[in-house]
Amino acid sequence: MDNGSILETIGLEIIGVMSPVSICMFLVVLIVYSLTSPTTKTPSQQLRTAANLVYLESPTDTTSQKLEGALLNAVVFILLITLVTFLLVILYYYRFTNFLKYYIRFSSFFVLGSMGGSILLTLIQHFNIPIDCLTFSVLLFNFTILGVISVFSQGVPILLNQTYMVALGIIVAAWFTKLPEWTTWVVLIALALYDLVAVLAPGGPLKMLVELASSRDEELPALVYEARPNVGSRTGNRGSNLGLLLAGFSDGDPIELRVMSSSENVVQNDGVREVMSSSENVVQSKEIDGVREVETLPLMGSSSSNERERPVANEEIIRESNEIDRSRSRVLEREIEEEEEERGKGIKLGLGDFVFYSVLVGRAAMYDLMTVYACYLAIISGLGCTLILLAVCRHALPALPISIALGVIFYFLTRLLMEPFVVGTSTNLLMF
Amino acid sequence: MTVAAGIGYALLALGPSLSLFVAVISKKPFLILTVLSSTLVWLMSLIVMSALWRAFLPLKTAAWWPYTILILTSVGFQEGLRILFWKVYKKLEDILDAFADRVSKPRLFMTDKMHIALAGGLGHGVAHAVFFCLGLLTPAFGPATYYVEKCSKIPFFLVSAIIALAFATIHTFSMVIAFSGYEEGNKVDQCFAPVVHLIAGMLTLANLAFGGCMIGIPLLYCVAIVTLVHCGKMAWRRLIESRRREGNFSNSQ
Repeated sequence: MDNGSILETIGLEIIGVMSPVSICMFLVVLIVYSLTSPTTKTPSQQLRTAANLVYLESPTDTTSQKLEGALLNAVVFILLITLVTFLLVILYYYRFTNFLKYYIRFSSFFVLGSMGGSILLTLIQHFNIPIDCLTFSVLLFNFTILGVISVFSQGVPILLNQTYMVALGIIVAAWFTKLPEWTTWVVLIALALYDLVAVLAPGGPLKMLVELASSRDEELPALVYEARPNVGSRTGNRGSNLGLLLAGFSDGDPIELRVMSSSENVVQNDGVREVMSSSENVVQSKEIDGVREVETLPLMGSSSSNERERPVANEEIIRESNEIDRSRSRVLEREIEEEEEERGKGIKLGLGDFVFYSVLVGRAAMYDLMTVYACYLAIISGLGCTLILLAVCRHALPALPISIALGVIFYFLTRLLMEPFVVGTSTNLLMF
Repeated sequence: MTVAAGIGYALLALGPSLSLFVAVISKKPFLILTVLSSTLVWLMSLIVMSALWRAFLPLKTAAWWPYTILILTSVGFQEGLRILFWKVYKKLEDILDAFADRVSKPRLFMTDKMHIALAGGLGHGVAHAVFFCLGLLTPAFGPATYYVEKCSKIPFFLVSAIIALAFATIHTFSMVIAFSGYEEGNKVDQCFAPVVHLIAGMLTLANLAFGGCMIGIPLLYCVAIVTLVHCGKMAWRRLIESRRREGNFSNSQ
């Protein structure tokens, strides 16, 4: 029992992504629920935003009118987003990185300050919180400035950065829930499709952006949630644990065996390559003569992919085997460490995914609590499926399509099928 | 005031499950995933059942036999799902053991297996409480409360919270019993879960009669306590056995 049971390590990275998403959704539901439930009857004034430029929904319209208008809205919105993303790619391609960073800082300032401020004001009015104008503005200013600082800076604790990412997601999602109902659903579905195309299709803007960033070895100039663990850099490599589980299970040869046998020159094992695809880059990029180093590379690869378990042992092996060429091994180690740093960032989830998950749940909250639970479960399980796929595919994947599809399906199933059933049985106090 | 009442109902139904979650489940990410997937399975079973019964609802008759059929089919379907869940879990266990060998960690302990069963059961229980009690609580946060004609002494939300608590307990611990029954091939434990589930479901039929809830709910709690005691005994016996086995093992070495 020295290092506990295996249940404590599996799934850490999945939970690391799921818990902020859950927090974000929960808070959006609370905001939506507390702000809309007493005043559902009064028609709130319609807002003109990018998502309903063409058509403003009114309750008296017929279904076909609503559907048509919602489709038009969605098309315009998607076109706008595509244009903006291509603009971003172009700017990034011509290395206007600083411009992008400052622009994002400015926009997060704007979001936190004005949109967040207005949500806070509504909450204060709704709950009759006694607070004077001066205090409120000072507090809001501090909150905003800290948020702007935490975006794209290395010195800030990762927890603060993560908190502000979630806060940004909540604020934007709370605004998006003010869209009319039909438009929300159509826009969500359209966004899921757009995400699918933009990330996976060749020439898709997001795919280009990710490839560009990884080829330049830089961070993405965008608001991205990093599920990097905040406990030291040594434990930073959980993202590959699951991949190891999935990739390694197909061939029944345990890692230990490989590690042991690799000193007997059985390096060209396909399984090793499959698990440690990244270490191959090093093999190819560094021209290494002599078998010893080639042998040790998969070892280091394995140390980088499950170093949580045996960091010390592996490094000892590395040092041992590289005794002859000490200086060289230093270089190699530095190389590996850089790579670890790059890979050690953990799973990244775009802020847009946070926003639109929460929009779906927030929209569900306007109907009933039951649909909220169903949608939450559907979205989380969709996210889990996406993460498992990520561990298998090992390149950037769209996070929206599976979750949004499941969420929409479960919303309508719950609303149309389950609600009458459950209400019918439980008002008779029948349960099973 | 009503907000406090609503939160109180929610905690009454889900409080024990919540403390179980915080104390046992939340420390192990894999168990959280198990809870989530088991909740999803239960939700899907509910959706399938409601799809089947959608055409016949709402029942106009006051007769009790359509409700009996409804409960029979639902319980049968969910018990079928439990067997499926067990088969999936069995496969997962092999994968986990292989993975444990790979990263040179100990294989699943007996307590780990029971934890997984508990997490699966907790998922079912939480899903029950959420969809049959919490999902209906929306009006409880409003300015009034609601009484059912058949059980006119207690507010409806309170009754449903109390019943949901009993069912959450039954679901949670009967899953542990069922899993250990499947593992040991013990026929009594295997049949225990479906029988208890069916009895509990049938007891709620008493609520259809006037004032029936005064009899039905105490009986329901008896069933819940029987489940709890049986599960406790079984877990105690298995822990003692495994400890003895470990002791023998280390002695023989």
